[in-house]
Amino acid sequence: MAQPTFDAFQVIADPSRRQMLMLLSKDSLTINSLAENFDMTRPAVSKHIKILYGAGFISIQDIGRERHCTLKQDGFNALHEWLRYFDQFWTSKLKNLEKLLNNKLPN
Amino acid sequence: MAASIKHQLFFPHPPAAVWEYLTNAELMDLWLMKNDFQPVAGHEFSFRTNPVPSLDFDGIVYCKVLEIEPFKKLSYSWKLGPGDGNINVDSVVRWELRPKDTGTELLLDHGGFAILENAGIFNAMNEGWLKNMHKIADRLNEKNHGTTNL
Repeated sequence: MAQPTFDAFQVIADPSRRQMLMLLSKDSLTINSLAENFDMTRPAVSKHIKILYGAGFISIQDIGRERHCTLKQDGFNALHEWLRYFDQFWTSKLKNLEKLLNNKLPN
Repeated sequence: MAASIKHQLFFPHPPAAVWEYLTNAELMDLWLMKNDFQPVAGHEFSFRTNPVPSLDFDGIVYCKVLEIEPFKKLSYSWKLGPGDGNINVDSVVRWELRPKDTGTELLLDHGGFAILENAGIFNAMNEGWLKNMHKIADRLNEKNHGTTNL
């Protein structure tokens, strides 16, 4: 079944997925134990997990008969990149403003 | 990195002079970006700059004036995306001017990244990674009985 692709921001726009990430930030969990925290059907849980996996937020490992979910850095890097971009953006824009105001206007 | 970008600057000019540069569309163009800003609460406007394909940013920032208090405070929403109608980044830019004896202190806070601030998730994530890194370090140490750079 085709999954729509989500970017990092869309992935964590959903409260259930955020909560899944919160739980996984404490410890890696099996899909079963993760699902126990949510009042939703197993297919619904699976769908969220697939989206998290697809966007690089978690990795899934089969150990015995259980599937283990662990946090993964990739998905979060996209968010960091945005923040880094804006930080640089403002640093350079504010330098422009400083130049304009301090050179052109008399004190 | 914090989920909010903060900058603080000092200008040896009165707040009114700094305010002009934050709220006059032509002056804003000189240091920030082309725009159709108007100093009216509720006014919708946009900034235009070069696209950043690697970040799925088409170069247009969609904004709306949220709060405006002349010479003191200004805030606007700051939304952008790849240009297909989707918004990737939904945030808020806040300016604050504080009069000082010899000039004006200008504070910028670009935050309110809806998803990041929710439930302190960003910090939780960072802690989660750190823990994972330590786990990896511990495993490496067990294997090598040596030191690592972590």
